[in-house]
Amino acid sequence: MAKLLYEWDYSGFPGAKKYPNLFKPIQIGNLIIPNRIKYAATEDNFNDPDGFITDADVAYMRARAEGVVGGMCFMQGVYMDPEGIGQGYVGQAAAWDDKFIPGLKRIADAIHSERAIAGFQLMDCGRVGAVNLPEGRGPSAVPQRLRVFKPIREMSKEEIKQMIQQHVDAARRGVEAGFDVIEISGIVGYLISNFLSSYTNRRTDEYGGDIRGRCQVMVEIIQRVKEEVGPDIPVGIRLCAEELLDDVRGNTPEESMITYKMAEEAGVDYISATAGWQESIVPVISRDVPQGSWLYLAKRAKEHVNVPITMAYRIFLPHFPEKAISKGELDMWEMCRSMIADPLMPKKVLEGREDEVRHCVACNLCLARLFRDAPMTCYINPLCAHEHDERFYPKPVKEDEKKKVMIIGGGPAGLECAYVAAQRGHEVHVYEKREEIGGTILEASKAPYGDEELMTCINYQRTMCKKYGVEFHLGVEVTEELIQDEFPDTVVIATGPKYSELKAKVAEGAKVVNILDVMRGEAEVGENVVVWGNRKPGIGCALMLARSGKKVTLVGKDKTAGFDVNPSFKWRYMIYLRQNGVKVYNDCDIEEVNPGEIIVRTYDGYRFPVKCDTVIVSEREPNEALKQAALSEGIEVFVIGDALMPRNMSSAVHDGYRIGLRI
Amino acid sequence: MPFDAEKEITRLWRNLHSAQEEICRTFYRWREVAKDIAGDGADETEIALKAAEFIGKEIGKGLLPRLNWLKGEEAFLMNLARAFANIWANEGAICQVEKGEKDGEVYIKCTRDTWPSIAKEYDVPMEEVAKTRERIFQAALEDVSVFFNIPLAIEMLKAIPRGEGMYLFRLYKKEEG
Repeated sequence: MAKLLYEWDYSGFPGAKKYPNLFKPIQIGNLIIPNRIKYAATEDNFNDPDGFITDADVAYMRARAEGVVGGMCFMQGVYMDPEGIGQGYVGQAAAWDDKFIPGLKRIADAIHSERAIAGFQLMDCGRVGAVNLPEGRGPSAVPQRLRVFKPIREMSKEEIKQMIQQHVDAARRGVEAGFDVIEISGIVGYLISNFLSSYTNRRTDEYGGDIRGRCQVMVEIIQRVKEEVGPDIPVGIRLCAEELLDDVRGNTPEESMITYKMAEEAGVDYISATAGWQESIVPVISRDVPQGSWLYLAKRAKEHVNVPITMAYRIFLPHFPEKAISKGELDMWEMCRSMIADPLMPKKVLEGREDEVRHCVACNLCLARLFRDAPMTCYINPLCAHEHDERFYPKPVKEDEKKKVMIIGGGPAGLECAYVAAQRGHEVHVYEKREEIGGTILEASKAPYGDEELMTCINYQRTMCKKYGVEFHLGVEVTEELIQDEFPDTVVIATGPKYSELKAKVAEGAKVVNILDVMRGEAEVGENVVVWGNRKPGIGCALMLARSGKKVTLVGKDKTAGFDVNPSFKWRYMIYLRQNGVKVYNDCDIEEVNPGEIIVRTYDGYRFPVKCDTVIVSEREPNEALKQAALSEGIEVFVIGDALMPRNMSSAVHDGYRIGLRI
Repeated sequence: MPFDAEKEITRLWRNLHSAQEEICRTFYRWREVAKDIAGDGADETEIALKAAEFIGKEIGKGLLPRLNWLKGEEAFLMNLARAFANIWANEGAICQVEKGEKDGEVYIKCTRDTWPSIAKEYDVPMEEVAKTRERIFQAALEDVSVFFNIPLAIEMLKAIPRGEGMYLFRLYKKEEG
C-alpha cells in the first residue's frame, strides 16, 4: 500500500489549472508524491570543511523545500568515506559516520517543515573527487583531461567492496536522519558513472569489460541499498542518458540505455535522466543551449524503462515539462539552477505568479564558484547563500524613517534597488531618460547565443517594481535642477557607464561609433569592423556582427577576452569567436584610427595595422556625473552598477539589492 | 607615428629567434645545475633524459583537451603529429608531417633544429641530444595512449645530431594483442 506523507490540495490554485500535469500526484516506489516537482540535489559548498551541516545549508534547503510545494526536495549529495577521496567539493556534506546524523536530520526536518518529501543523495565524486587529497580514484587509471582534477589511480577489488558498503551505511544514516527517498548519483564523471563508461572503465575483471560488466558496481549498490532501507523508502538513481563523450570513446546512447535497464532490473524506483559529463566538450546547460533541448533523452528513457523518469537540464519554463508529461515523455520536472535563482519558482507557478519568477540566466556562475572552492552564489539572486542571514532580507522601515528616493537610471541596478527600497516602505521614483526601462540590457540582449534570456531579469524587476508601487518617470533626463526641484532624501545614481573616448589619433573621415547604437541597429557599420573593448559587451557585439557576415576584430586592454564572463561560460565564447572568424588582440590598444585601417599597439610596444572601416567603442568607465550635484544639496547619495564601476549584470543586480536594503 | 612594417617585423623576428634559443639554452643551463647538485658520480645523460620525460609528460597532458577521436584514426594521428611538430617549431625547428604508406602511421620530418648547436656549447654528447628529443615524444605519448585507449608508439629513424641530415620520426598505432 503506497504511503502519502503530506496531503496537498492544489485544486484552488490557478497554476494547477494551467499546468494540470505538473500538479498531479505520482507514485514513486511505495510513496505518493503529491506533484511532479523535484528540487535536484545540488552542491553548494556551504558546509564545514569536515562535512558537518551548517546553518547556511539548512536555511538554503528550507527555502527550496518551500518552493517545491509538496514535491521532492533533495539535499546535496554526501560523500561517504572518512579519507574524503569521494569528496568533490570543499563544503560537501559527509555521511561516513553516525556523528553526522544529527546535522543531516536538521536538513530533513527543515524540508519536512515545509511539508515536502526529503531526499538524500549518495555521491562519491570518483575521478572528480579527492578535492583535498593529492590523488583520486577510479575503476582505471585514466588520465585527467581537465587539470583542475586530481591524478587517478585504479581501485582494488577490496576498495570497491568497501565503497559499496560505504553507500549502504550512508543510506542507512540518511534514513535514520529522517529522509524519505534515497538517490544514488551516477552522473557527470562521479564514481558510478566512471564505472559505467567505456571511457574511464578499462577493467577486465567482473567490474569491467562490456557494458553489463561495467554496470556491476551500480547493480550491487542499488541492490544492497534497497535491501538496507527496505520497501518503504524509494531508491532512485541519476544516470547519463548520453555521456556526450564520443570524442574520447565513451558510452554510446545504446549503452547508456542498457545502464537504465540494468538499474531498473536491480530495483530502482525512478531514474533521473541527465546529459553530459564535466569533461564533455559539448555545451549542455549554458545559455547557448536552447531550453528543452534535452527532453528527447527523457522520451528515449521512457521508451526503454517502466520506472518514472525525472529530468532537469535547461527546462526552466513550466510549459516544457507540462507538455512532456502530458505526452508521456517525462514524469517529473526536476530543477536545480532555476531554483537557485528563485527558490520559490514552482510555488509562484502554482499560485499564478509566473511574472514574479526570477529566471536563471544559465550563466553557470554557481558551478564556476563550486569548482574554485568558493561557496555557491547566484548571478541574479543576491539572497542566494545568505538565506540564513537576517540582514539580507528587506525589512520594513518605520514610518518616520521613510524616505523619498530618486533612482537615476532604469537598468538592472536601478530597478533592483527600486523595488527592494519600495518593498521596505520608501517612496521610490525611477527616472529613465529613455522611453523604456532595461538600461544597457536592452542592447545586450540582442547579442547571439541565448542573450535574449537576459531580459528575463528586467521583466522580473519591472513586475516587482509595479507590485511595490515604484513610480516611473520615463523619457526624463535628470539634471542638477531636477534634483534641486524634487529634493529627494536619497539619490541613487544607476545611470550605467560612460563610454570611453578613444585616446588614439583619429584621422578625419575615420568612422567611430558607439556600441549601443550598433546593437540597436541605429549606426551603420562597414564590412571591416574593429570592436574596441574585449569584455562581454564587446564580445556580444563582435559575435552579432560576425554572424551577419562582417569581418570583425576585437581589440582590448584586458589580458584575456571575456575577463568579466565567468569561467564556466567563457570557454563557449572563445569557441564562438573562433568559429565566427573574429580576430582577437588582447592586451592591446588602438593607437591610430585612419580611414581604412587602424594601428594596434601591443602592451609591449609592437605596432601593426588592421583593416578597418568602422571602430565600435565598447570600453567603459565609471559615471558619477550627478554625484556632486546631489552631495552639494546635502542629499544622501549612492552610486551603483556600471556607474560605480563597469562590470556585469550580476554586479549591477547585487549592488542594487544591497543598497535597496541600506537606504 | 607612421607605421613601418619592415621595422616592426624585424623587431618581432629578432625577438622570436632569441626566445627560441632561450628555450633550448634554459634546458641545458638546468642540466648543468642538476649535474652540479647530483655530484660527480651522476650520469648526466640520465639526468637529461629524466628532464625530457618530465617535459614530454607535460606536453602529453596539454594535448588531451585538444585531441578528438571523432575525426577518425587517420585525422587523429595527423593532428597528434602536427601538435608535436608545432611544439618543436616553437623552439625554432622546421618540421613537416607526412602520411605514411601504411594505415595507422605518420612521419614527422625535421630539417632544422636549434638544439644540437646550443648543446655543443655545453659539451653535451650528440647522442644524448637525439635521445632527449625521442624521450620527449615518447613520454608525451604515454598519457595520450592511455587516455584514448589506443596503443601508440613513436620511433626515431634519423637524427640531425647523428649526422643524418634530418630527424625522422615514425608515429604509429601498435598492433593490438
